Amino acid sequence: MTFSWKRINAIFMKDYKDFSRNLAVSMVIFLPPILAAFIGRMGAASIESYYMIINMAFGMVASYVQSCLIAEEKEKNTLRGLMLSPATTTEILTGKTLLSFVLTIVTILLSIVLAGYNPANIAIIAVAIILSTFFYLGLGTLLGLYAKSVMEASVLVLPVMIIFSFGTMIIALVEQYPILKAATYLPNIQLLEIAAKVEAGIGFGDIWLHLAIIAAWAVASFATAVVIYRKRMVD
Amino acid sequence: MTLEFINAEKRIHDSLIFPSFNLTVNKGQVVAVYSSVNVREQLIHLLLGKSSLSHGEIRLDGSFKQTNCPGFFFLHHSLYERLSVLEMLRFTKKLHHSEVSIDDMLRLAQLDAKRAIRIKQLSFSEQKRVQFACLLIQNPSIFVLEEPDQNMDLESKRIYLSILQHLSADEKVIFILTGNLESAVTSADTVFRLDANGLQSIQMKTEDERDEASDPIGMVESTQPVRFEKIPTKVNDKIVLFNPPEIDYIESNEGQTFLHIKGESFPCVFTLTELEERLLPFGFFRCHRSYIVNLQKVREVVTWTRNSYSLVLEDLSKSTIPLSKSKMVELKEMLGLK
Repeated sequence: MTFSWKRINAIFMKDYKDFSRNLAVSMVIFLPPILAAFIGRMGAASIESYYMIINMAFGMVASYVQSCLIAEEKEKNTLRGLMLSPATTTEILTGKTLLSFVLTIVTILLSIVLAGYNPANIAIIAVAIILSTFFYLGLGTLLGLYAKSVMEASVLVLPVMIIFSFGTMIIALVEQYPILKAATYLPNIQLLEIAAKVEAGIGFGDIWLHLAIIAAWAVASFATAVVIYRKRMVD
Repeated sequence: MTLEFINAEKRIHDSLIFPSFNLTVNKGQVVAVYSSVNVREQLIHLLLGKSSLSHGEIRLDGSFKQTNCPGFFFLHHSLYERLSVLEMLRFTKKLHHSEVSIDDMLRLAQLDAKRAIRIKQLSFSEQKRVQFACLLIQNPSIFVLEEPDQNMDLESKRIYLSILQHLSADEKVIFILTGNLESAVTSADTVFRLDANGLQSIQMKTEDERDEASDPIGMVESTQPVRFEKIPTKVNDKIVLFNPPEIDYIESNEGQTFLHIKGESFPCVFTLTELEERLLPFGFFRCHRSYIVNLQKVREVVTWTRNSYSLVLEDLSKSTIPLSKSKMVELKEMLGLK
């Protein structure tokens, strides 16, 4: 199995051009920065509101864009061409994931700057955000493999967006309903806890557990995506 | 590089798709297989490696089949509609690490003027040509073409045929799968029919061969009592010969005779009277002023009124053919009825 950067680059460039001309999908990357700008200008922004925006960016950009990229290949019958080419599964998925990854990171950076969020320890936050991005990309790939068209993908991604961007508010209910304690292991809430601890000045030693949980989510989502890909693509 | 089918046979749940056949396509050869959609799909699946043969094997270049080796031209194109023609070709070139020049291929598919236009804005035939250009850039040694010229405009068909010539001169193996006999005959050197009865070759002669042959035939007819049995028809610049039993019926329309064979019609140079004379020994019957029917294929005689009758054939479309009143009497006599 040869791993060719030239092919990955070809897929990346093709997807970039295709994506930039597909306004219906590319519009979503502007939403989180615009919302962030509002929150930043209104003042009195809390760490929760910053993370609502960041989690929304994950759902809208990482998951949504990734699932649309894959679903469109299926809908337009172009995935067959890719699979008949010498490009391997890893190369196809890497090329596609690379574009969504870059877009997510750029959108989140822009949102953070516009919202005026200034984390106390940039390195830890960066690692946490990159790990979370992988989780959402895996989730997006999974949705894209399930959906048969872009339309279906955009409907499927809605619950993901809602659970992961507004789901952070679940924390408030944990006191009342102890069963919701399980939900605190969700990657979006883990991310928020990391951010809160960083602000409180706690060092890396206490945070690695949270990072490990997010990493586990990311690995799980990618593993499922690969299994589903193999299953779906055989027939 | 060759494409070989050895004792290839396919069955799906007890029903026979095609019985075992042998076929070898050598380099520089254009071979078309004329078949139904089912058979065509099965062949494509087999070549893609998605299903396997019930018996026999498919070999590429003498070895067992490996997927990714042939280049496929599918009925449904897979192009990125939002990319321009040039971007699409560049992408294909990078994806396949190909050494082929994009400009040459653009010229071959005559898309030079369209290179900056997005694929979405091209016409169907132009999109098909882009698809062909992509395949040319992949530069496989075996080309498998599925209904290559279906719904194409005349200009694109001409370009497609010239590309085929170029490929065949380039020592490529070309295997065309089509359900249209005319397309098969115009694009390929050798045409086969593949169905549940097996693989049969459809004989053809090209125009120049015919020119040499036509005079002797004329002489034969005038000097010798031996008759040439096959009935020639014309498809573009080629002559296709049919065995009389294959013919369902013959129709004359505005002075031109047409042979109807398995739902398709082929113009024929002979007049109805000439054909009647030739085909009488094969059980053909002049049932109407402008029709000759193959009596072997007649299933029913329908009486509409006392004076109007029709013959229903047992072909797929259940064609009905008029039967005139005077001929009805003749037919009844032939059948031994009163």
